[in-house]
Amino acid sequence: MQDTGVHLRDVTKSFGAVDVIRGVDMDIPRGQFAVFVGPSGCGKSTLLRMIAGLEDTSDGQIAIGARDVTHEDPADRGVAMVFQSYALYPHLSVFENMAFSLRLAKRPRVEVDEKVRRAAGILKLSDHLDKKPAQLSGGQRQRVAIGRAIVRAPDVFLFDEPLSNLDAELRVQMRLELARLHKQLGATMIYVTHDQVEAMTLADTIFVLQGGHVQQHGAPLDLYDDPSNRFVAGFIGSPSMNFFEATVAGHTKDGITAQLAGQPDQSFDIPLRHRPEQGTVLVLGMRPEHLMVTAAGGMRVTVDVAEELGGVSYQHGTLEGGEAVIFQQTGARHGMHGTVQTVTPELARIFVFDKSGDRVR
Amino acid sequence: MSKANRRRRELRAAGLLIAPFLLVFTVFFLYPTYKVIALSFTDAPLIGEGTWIGLANYVKLFNDRLFYTSLWNNFYFVLLTVVPTTVIALLIALAVSKLKGRMQALVLTLFFLPYVLPVSVVTMIWTWMLDFQFGILQPLIAAVTGKPVPVFKNPYWVMPMIAVVTIWWTNGFNVLLLIAGLRNIPQDLYEAAALDGATSWQRFWRITWPLLWPITALVLTLQLILQLKLFDQVYLLSNGGPFNQSYVVLMQMYREAFQLNNGGYASAIAMVLFGIIVIVSVLQFQLLRIGARK
Repeated sequence: MQDTGVHLRDVTKSFGAVDVIRGVDMDIPRGQFAVFVGPSGCGKSTLLRMIAGLEDTSDGQIAIGARDVTHEDPADRGVAMVFQSYALYPHLSVFENMAFSLRLAKRPRVEVDEKVRRAAGILKLSDHLDKKPAQLSGGQRQRVAIGRAIVRAPDVFLFDEPLSNLDAELRVQMRLELARLHKQLGATMIYVTHDQVEAMTLADTIFVLQGGHVQQHGAPLDLYDDPSNRFVAGFIGSPSMNFFEATVAGHTKDGITAQLAGQPDQSFDIPLRHRPEQGTVLVLGMRPEHLMVTAAGGMRVTVDVAEELGGVSYQHGTLEGGEAVIFQQTGARHGMHGTVQTVTPELARIFVFDKSGDRVR
Repeated sequence: MSKANRRRRELRAAGLLIAPFLLVFTVFFLYPTYKVIALSFTDAPLIGEGTWIGLANYVKLFNDRLFYTSLWNNFYFVLLTVVPTTVIALLIALAVSKLKGRMQALVLTLFFLPYVLPVSVVTMIWTWMLDFQFGILQPLIAAVTGKPVPVFKNPYWVMPMIAVVTIWWTNGFNVLLLIAGLRNIPQDLYEAAALDGATSWQRFWRITWPLLWPITALVLTLQLILQLKLFDQVYLLSNGGPFNQSYVVLMQMYREAFQLNNGGYASAIAMVLFGIIVIVSVLQFQLLRIGARK
């Protein structure tokens, strides 16, 4: 067995007849920041709770460091968890909330005091130690929850959507604080979120989950640059990728010529190693930031909504065939809604998927 | 519409809405309360006018040996019921809350069922079950004490047995309150505590108990008030006997008013009991709140 980090081997979980986790393997090396991301119901929280020991594992093996903890009690696993609801003890002061685990372990008073104050110092909570959770703001409560985890000095920190109850501004701020905290503590962290921006900004490794499977894992930019299926392609990146149906019109020297179904006068020469047969129906994926407005011929998009964000703008519209399109504009500010724009994709950055959603490379 | 006009309309609506309650409250509570207070200073019979005799009824009451016996019996009964019923209800609530779905609803219904019964039915059931000759509980009593006991005719057994009947009858409501309180404690807190290394015993004492305390304090206070007002069970099971061992303050009031036709004196008893209930329950609630803050 591996000596450090968190390791899952063919882990499954079913609630009655429903399989929630269907055979997950993963290795998270020591000190890494891993993020589980996926739509709601994909099993990411369940998987985290299984690592924490709050859910039983139906089959497979979970190891933390060299220890097999599959059937150990939560407290004996060396993990600490930060809950979405914070789960602070409402009747205890901030100090006592953070000291709770040490008190249970009957640690000496001096040690409790020192550890709690050190954690409070890291999290800028020193002035609030006597307050009750109800007297704190959302961000402060979040920090107390993190402080409670730090005090336990666990091998692994688990975060279950910890920022989703905060407002947008605070979320960005806490995100940065978490990134700093990870550098400072150097501990292994596993973080669950449905927000792919959080995943991209925090993670060393992202695990994209759907339907109880890990769809793909890797460094954030690897997932962005090289998604292995249509689901990951659509999930990573904001706004999400455009998908257009196309057919293989012919083969070129190093790829294929794909003809758009929604606008048959448009076809693209796409470099591919494995060339599907002529006539095969494919799906082309193009990111909004890789569609360029051009004066020459291209895909004609009727823009109906323009989201102007200042620096960039996102133009939402439809192709002639009715397929939805989003494309990004940087710097330009002209009211595009209601107009027909012509865009062309960067040919090297078109992703090709087969009908079942797998990537064709 | 002018501001004054709108204000007048609002006031009219407000008056209209509270009028029915105010009327009922005045006719059926405020006026009778006033009459009882007034009556307690007269020598009036139950029906008809009496003459003003000042504090004579109260002086007589505080020199009445039977009043002190009744009062003592009341406090003895409170001791026998309030804390035990709360502890039992808490244990049942903790057990029931471990059950899931339909099973929980079923068990809860079973515990709540006695509360639905009228007091006359409750006392009838227990009179039969504890009947000296035929009661199905007599073998149990005989097994413990060596011989059957006519419990409602025995001065040592009577109050504890009335307490048992009362607890059996009213416990379901307390279970319900405590279950509601338990459900209000988020599951996350138990999970966080489990991760923090708390045993189930520690989880109870450090999380459940302090977070349930407001409900527990409420149950204790409601029970105190309810049990000080003891009357029906005593009247139906032992009628105050034997040797006045189950004679309680309301029983005395009932006798004076409805059997001896001393309306004025009975009113004085009622006023004193009212005063005691207010003082004791306010005192208890304050004590419990201080206890919670510590």
